[in-house]
Order: sequence, then C-alpha cells, then structure tokens
Amino acid sequence: MGNKTLENFWDVTLTPEEKERLEKIKINDLGFGYDIFGLNKDWLKTAYAVVKLLYQHYFRVESTGIENIPKEGRVILASNHSGGIPIDGAMIIMDVATKMEPPRLVRAIVDNFAAAMPFVGLFFYRVGQVIGHRKNFEVLLDNDEAILVFPGGTKDIGRLFKDRYNPEKFNVGFIELSLLYKAPIVPVAVVGAEEQLPVIHKWVKLGQIFGSPYFPVTPQFFLGGGPLTNFIPFPSKYHIYYGEPLEYYKYFSEDTVENPEMVQTLAADVRSKVVEMLQKGLKKRKGVFY
Amino acid sequence: MAISKTHNVLITGITSTLGRQLARLLYYDKRIGFILGVAIDDRPFYFDDFSPNRFHYMRVDLTKPRQVNNLFYSDIFKDMEIDTAIHMAFLNKPSDVGEKSHELNVVGTKMLIDKCIETGQVSKFIFKSSHLVYKIRPHNPVILDEEADLNFDKDAPQWIKNRVDADMICRAKMDNPKINVVVLRFSNIVGRNIHSLMNAYLSSKVAFSITGFDPMVNLIHPRDAIYAIQLAIHKNVKGVFNIVGRDTAPLHVFLELNKTKNRALPEPLQKIINDWQKKMGATDFDFKAGRELLKYAVLLDPAKAEKVLGYKPKHHVEFG
Repeated sequence: MGNKTLENFWDVTLTPEEKERLEKIKINDLGFGYDIFGLNKDWLKTAYAVVKLLYQHYFRVESTGIENIPKEGRVILASNHSGGIPIDGAMIIMDVATKMEPPRLVRAIVDNFAAAMPFVGLFFYRVGQVIGHRKNFEVLLDNDEAILVFPGGTKDIGRLFKDRYNPEKFNVGFIELSLLYKAPIVPVAVVGAEEQLPVIHKWVKLGQIFGSPYFPVTPQFFLGGGPLTNFIPFPSKYHIYYGEPLEYYKYFSEDTVENPEMVQTLAADVRSKVVEMLQKGLKKRKGVFY
Repeated sequence: MAISKTHNVLITGITSTLGRQLARLLYYDKRIGFILGVAIDDRPFYFDDFSPNRFHYMRVDLTKPRQVNNLFYSDIFKDMEIDTAIHMAFLNKPSDVGEKSHELNVVGTKMLIDKCIETGQVSKFIFKSSHLVYKIRPHNPVILDEEADLNFDKDAPQWIKNRVDADMICRAKMDNPKINVVVLRFSNIVGRNIHSLMNAYLSSKVAFSITGFDPMVNLIHPRDAIYAIQLAIHKNVKGVFNIVGRDTAPLHVFLELNKTKNRALPEPLQKIINDWQKKMGATDFDFKAGRELLKYAVLLDPAKAEKVLGYKPKHHVEFG
C-alpha cells in the first residue's frame, strides 16, 4: 500500500486535533520517513484511525494512572497479556498516545514468529512494534523510547479461560535491561481482555499452518464460521491500570544481573504488583461489558 | 589510532569498478608509495595516465597456483616492498556460480592469503566481504554486529556459501602474528557497473517484490566503500568491520527513487518468474541467492567501524 493511499485514508478519518497530536510524536527518521525498525508516521496515523474505533466505541477503554508514565526518557511498561490475540497491546499503545501530554508512542515487543508472517510482520514494524530480541530492546532504550513488554510471553496470551487473571511467571530479560539501562518499570494491568476471546483450547497443528505456535480456539469458533468467526472479539469493556514506576536500579547495582535469583525475585515483584492491580480492578468492575 | 606512514599496496581485481576507483583514490593518496594492480584482463587503457614509478599492472589468474607464485616471486613485488594486500578479485555477479566461481572466490582467496603470510613481507591483508555472509532470519535483531551468526546453512545457495567460506578463511588467519587481517563486510554497494545482488535487483526492468514484505535496506555509495578500504590501509587495525552506507529505508522506497517498476508477487511464484526474467535478459538478479534479502532486513551495526576505523559514510546513493 503506497503512502499516498494511507495519507488519503487518515486525512479524512482523523480530526484536526488528532492529526496535531500524532504529529507531535517524535520518530528517529533516517531521512526517508522511517526509523531503523521501519516505523512510519503515515502508517501510524492510519493504524490510529482504525484502532480508535475499537478503542473508543467497541472496547470503550478507561484507564487510571497514566501520569505514572514519565513524559520523556526511557521507560519499560510491563503488562499482563491476555485475550488470544494481542489487542491488549494495541489498546495500551492507543491509550498512551491518546491521553498523555505530550503524546508518546509506546513500542511493544512482539513475538518472534510475527516477523516471518507476510503482512503481519510488515504491519508491526510500520506501526512501531518491534521483534523481541535483546539487541532491539537495547536500541530502543538507547533512543530513550517507551517500551511495552509482556513478560509472561506467548504463554500468557494463550492462557486458557479457566486460568484468567492469573498471569504466567514473568521472564527476567526486562529486569536485566532495566538495571543495565536505568529504565523505570511501570507495571500495567489490563482488565477486560481476558473475556474478549476466551481461549478454550489451543490447536497446535492448525496454528503451525499459519506459522503461529498454536491456534486459539474460542467460543466464537462455534458461531458458524469456524476460523472465520473465531477471532471476532466480544465487546468486553477494558480498564487499564498504570502503577507507580519501579526504580530498582536506584537500589540494585548493574552487577545484580549476574545474580539470577535476585533478578527472578524482582521479576516476581513486578508480577505481584500487576496481579494486585488486576485484583483491585476486578473488584471495582461492575460487569464484563460495562 | 595512529595513522601509519607510506604503504605499498597490492590490489587484486583492480579492473573491477571498485578496484579501479580504489586504484585512482590511492594513486593520489600521498601516503601510498606504490600500487601493484592485478587482474585477469589485459592492461586496460584507463591506467595509461598512471606513472610507472608509482603503478604497475600484472595479469594474473588467481585460480592458477603457478601464476600466483610468479606474482609473489616477481622482482616488482619484492623491490617495491609491497606490505599491504587488498583482495577484491571476487566474482560478484549473481550469475557467477559453479566451479570457476568457487576456485576464484574460495580457493583463490586461500591461496592469496597463504602466500601473503608465507612471504613475510605483507603485514596487512584486507578482504572485501559482504553482509550476505550473515544468517538472514526473520527474528534477527534490527542491526547485526560483527559477532552475529554467519550463514552456515547447508542448503544455502552456492553463491552465498562461497562468500561465507572466503570470509571464514580470512577470519581463521586473524590470530596469525605475521599479518593483520582486516575483513570489511559491506552492506549493499549500489552504483553504476557494480556487481551486487541489490544493484542487480534495482536495475531489473521490473523488480518483483514478495507480497507482504518490505524490508529495511541499507545502501552504500561506492565512494564510501573505497573510503573504508583506504581507512583500513592506513589505520593500525585488524579484525572484522561492518561497513554501512548513509541511506536506509524500506526496499520500495529505493525502487521508487530508482524509478524501477515494482510488482508484488507471492513467494512461490518468484523463482519461476525470476528464471523467465533471466532468460529474457530482463534481470541479473538471482532470486535463489537473494530471496531472504527481499523478505527480511539485514542492517549492519556500524559502531565498531565508527569507533575503531573512524569510518562514517558521507555520500548518498545516486539513482536513476
């Protein structure tokens, strides 16, 4: 899709205020309108124009604690991951871009398999998402970007519905990089995504055909369309909670990364903060759809 | 890093576009004493303005051991005290496959570096390598440093394997105390008459991109490429260095700038169409060798070259 086509699309879809907001987002343009990962503002505006419909009208996202995200400088947002497909990531990115002043673009770390998939990998790169490799993480931190990680990984998003709101054990890579690069960690809890696509079974063989680790079977699969209706999410209402920044690097030296047990403890600490926010959010929630 | 004094250089593949440009750059470089140029062709006219006091041309086939021996035992090699060898004799056309290509690119490289060490006269060996030696994978990081995995895939095209083998032959001599080996891994060198996969692709009558992919690509101007070689001659360095250009953008941007017609095709159809294109003379690009290059980014980390060599690209690639 040419950039002219994209421009025509977002030009008629976005309000002047939204255009102005998105224009304020800084990218490290290498001279042709793209950053080193392939992020491009026309694609970003187009994605914003599409996702805002889901954000405002379908999932009706509400959030608390956006002020906990630093206005500038490197920061790692660590969230639970749920709902079969990564809509939660898109909603967090959208929420930060919409509510922060000045707006920040959050760069989500996505799973490796996405890069091999035609269109999917391309789309992720163009809208600022980055394949999960330590070096990529380092480049982003060096550029003082805001990074979104799902330390529970693909296991977390593929959790079965019966295990909802019980995030997987957190991986430790983000803790190590937070200590090495002195980046604060903002714990993020997403309530509502678990119910959009309740995963009742993981169909590994079908997933492999599409280059994905598994195919998440949801109740929507049985609505008559099989795989076609499987990914139509229920309009559950999203509540996003941003916790206070955790600045472990102020108390632990860089050498802590050599201590696996301590790093594991810090990762577990972030997870417990996320779980705590999830529990509070669930108590406050009046219903799944409102 | 200290700049060293006068060097006398041997350049193999001097009749290639880059070799010729390098020869001219070094000819006017006051820190270069004598240039011994070597290639398989007859002496070309474009060296006629070079003084015999500073330049000598020898016809040598690097696949022939006797001719290589004659080069190293020649009076001119000894008398002119050649101390630096720049190995650029490499068959780079994507169509250059088969025994001849292997003999020059791999066996020739081995013979040359071994001879340089054997004479004890050559203290630096500079090899022009390529970013194509790296393993290109979807989950590679956005920039590859010099320690990134190389493509040892047994199913890799011979064209790629030759590059990896030659690179490895040079790397294997890195610890030899008699010689400083410098391997320069260039990203896509793009310019008139340059034989590179990307140049062949951009010069196609119609370039077929793979549906659903548009990787980030870095292009390097030939003048920056020879500038990096010049730095490697003069700086007291050894090791592997990634050499990048100034221009980085998605592939489609460069196709547009070059005014190359671009049509997206699903991957399974690419090889059939590419074979047909090659038969018709509509492209020199070889899909088998360049398949991954059309799908995934291969951007090199320039940090080491910048820090140790002092290299920074200056020129934008010229299109059209």
